[in-house]
Amino acid sequence: MPLRVKVRNAESGATVDMELEGENTVEEIIEGAAGYWEKDAGAYVLRRGKKLLRGQQTVADCGLVNQDELELIPDPEGG
Amino acid sequence: MSKAIRPGESDEDRLDRSRRIQWIDLERLSDSHCLVVGAGALGNEVVKNLVLSGVKRITLVDMDRVVRSNLNRCVFFSEDDTASDNFKSEIVAQRAGELSPGAEITPLVARIEDIDLNALARMDVAFGCLDNVAARLHLNAHTYHLGIPYVDGGTYGMAGRVQVVIPPSTPCLQCGMNRTHFKVMERRYSCTGNEASFYEPKMPAEITTTSVVAAIQVREAVKIMSGREMDCIKHILHYNGLTNASENLELSIDPQCPMHSSDNR
Ligand SMILES: [Zn+2]
Repeated sequence: MPLRVKVRNAESGATVDMELEGENTVEEIIEGAAGYWEKDAGAYVLRRGKKLLRGQQTVADCGLVNQDELELIPDPEGG
Repeated sequence: MSKAIRPGESDEDRLDRSRRIQWIDLERLSDSHCLVVGAGALGNEVVKNLVLSGVKRITLVDMDRVVRSNLNRCVFFSEDDTASDNFKSEIVAQRAGELSPGAEITPLVARIEDIDLNALARMDVAFGCLDNVAARLHLNAHTYHLGIPYVDGGTYGMAGRVQVVIPPSTPCLQCGMNRTHFKVMERRYSCTGNEASFYEPKMPAEITTTSVVAAIQVREAVKIMSGREMDCIKHILHYNGLTNASENLELSIDPQCPMHSSDNR
């Protein structure tokens, strides 16, 4: 049974709903959201509340539930 | 006979105001040896803050020369340095040294990948002031292996990030990376795989975000050098300069990350 989460764009505040299966990975969510907003090619991370989700974790590993809110954050590389 | 005080004597001690923050261990700061990798915008600010905080020994690694586009955010560089093609690490070492007589700042004109790793083993704290994922991963791997605390900073426009890695208890840089980081790294080497022709995107950067990120990096290192690791960021601070919001986000150790296998401890 797919679940539906809301992903927020930390830079613009925009949100998008995303439908996920238990085996989808965090990397897939990041790439899906970054692609939807046509973001610059760069590094991004995903947070749920106070926790950063690791790329290879699955939706099931992270314990995501219906209506969860996630945030896509750019991971700055410059120095 | 007890020691007599003189009016105004506290103003003769350059670290008097720091001494009033009682948990800062100025003796340990003075005895510590810090490695700063990158003498660009973050490197300038980190070295300035370290020297003013009372750190005396710094090794600074950077292979690049000063260019004009550095001058909007690098306190130690001048027009003359661009005209003279000066090396960044040498200029920062020279001018930061003038801020604190007795400071020993050793510039190394080199890539971090070319540094003798035995030299790293003597460091108390390492700072990542880099502009690419590959060099960060290199520094992360060696500092984690050697058990050296690593404070990494990054900026992009008005966004910033600081990660504090204290081996073996915290996650490392690699634990927090995903496919988007590795794609950025691949793109840099995508032309021929030859370093001489690698693609280097120009990133937006300005001084206020650089200053904030570098200040947090040095503040965390001062905590580490003063034995206050428990008060450090756990584990990554993200800063948004547009809203002035910052948040500490927790990361867990990736069981697949090679830094945390028993062989590497
Ligand atoms: Zn790791």
